[in-house]
Amino acid sequence: MSDDWLGRWREYFLAWYDEGRVEEKALEVADFASRFLDEGQVSVSGGKDSMVMLHIIVTRCRSDIVVFHWDHGPWLMPRAVENEIRCNIATVASKAKVIVETYNYGSRPEARVVWRPWYKAFFSTLKRLGYKYHLLGIRAEESSRRRARGRVVGRRHWVEIHPIYNFTWRDVWAYIFKHNTPVPNIYYKYARLLGWNRVRLTTFFDLEMQRYGQPQVDSVLSWRWKHNPLDRTNSAL
Amino acid sequence: MEPLEVTFYLSTPVALGFPWIYFDSLIAHIRLKEELGERYYSLPTKIPVDSVPAIPIKHWKDVPIASVSIFEPQAGLHTFSYFKRGDFPFPKGKISRASGFFKDFYLKTVYVPAVKVKFYATGELKEVERLVKLVPALGKERNIGFGFIRKVEVREVEHEWGLVKDSMAMRPIPVKYLKAYEDATYMAYKPPYWSKHSVDLCVVPFTRVELA
Repeated sequence: MSDDWLGRWREYFLAWYDEGRVEEKALEVADFASRFLDEGQVSVSGGKDSMVMLHIIVTRCRSDIVVFHWDHGPWLMPRAVENEIRCNIATVASKAKVIVETYNYGSRPEARVVWRPWYKAFFSTLKRLGYKYHLLGIRAEESSRRRARGRVVGRRHWVEIHPIYNFTWRDVWAYIFKHNTPVPNIYYKYARLLGWNRVRLTTFFDLEMQRYGQPQVDSVLSWRWKHNPLDRTNSAL
Repeated sequence: MEPLEVTFYLSTPVALGFPWIYFDSLIAHIRLKEELGERYYSLPTKIPVDSVPAIPIKHWKDVPIASVSIFEPQAGLHTFSYFKRGDFPFPKGKISRASGFFKDFYLKTVYVPAVKVKFYATGELKEVERLVKLVPALGKERNIGFGFIRKVEVREVEHEWGLVKDSMAMRPIPVKYLKAYEDATYMAYKPPYWSKHSVDLCVVPFTRVELA
């Protein structure tokens, strides 16, 4: 997408990069995260936050890390977006060991309505992988609940680490524009309508997201994937 | 049956749950409400209706000759966001904020600030006119004021533009009925639009098409 709207925002975020001291924050993130990489895995959804975290770790700590990516299946994550995410991960972390686990139930349309099996499948996978630390791209600014979690959270079978906990949405976008960090193109389509501060990459047409109004927005912006998650034309902007 | 042009003049923007509103589904909805009366409001969840009421619209094969909505002026999409959370005088004891009266939710509605919504269809003028006058509002979130109709006009036009106008598809048409098309995807093309049995590979509205 190359138009005035994106160009103006690019200028704004590049200006913010220095103003918001994003470089300092990135160095601090790298220093903090490096302590957990030997026994940990970097969980990457493919969204903007996890991609920024991955980019910081790979470029400033080390590149031979373990990356974990969860594929939600075609009915929750259309294939065009999923393929783009995998390509982005491979571009940023080319030397990393990438573990991709697939949610089998996500190959059925019912996955959009029945979400309880997701939790069981996801958490049992994390337990099976057996890593001590899970590095996640969660930020304090996202919600009061996430703020309350803190930067290091001890769970029963692992410890959750949130390296970019102190990043704001401006910091994240500034980092993306400054370092050309790849993120799915669908972000720009949604950001135009929802705003840069509100745009999030979540599962598509997922009724679990209904309380956030997400399926309704998906039905208007990503209507091609409503009945056919294999449609490739929707990502064209 | 005559070719018709139906124009809704709006007093508030239209909230959307899909990029277009289907005229035949609107008419089927009104007919169903008429047919079922109060029972319309207590339909079963799994299979709400087992048959669609007859609508006064002509069909070509099994495709109703009725266009999707044409918004005028063609303004871009906007969003209305509303965060409902408990700022009530809460009762004593444990209450759930995940369900029921105190449930928190975030409303994110996509709307079009249109002034007019136009449809083309082929149907019975008198009956269509009677039914469209029963429509108080269009689109989604009508309960909070979206899509209110100021007036509606139905007039006869020369050409049948419910399916194709100037070589452009005016609604989803299954590609099996077409000779050539520019763009296609899986869409519902006949009422009930929520049913998976109505979904087929269809031409996308407002793209080039040639009927077989």
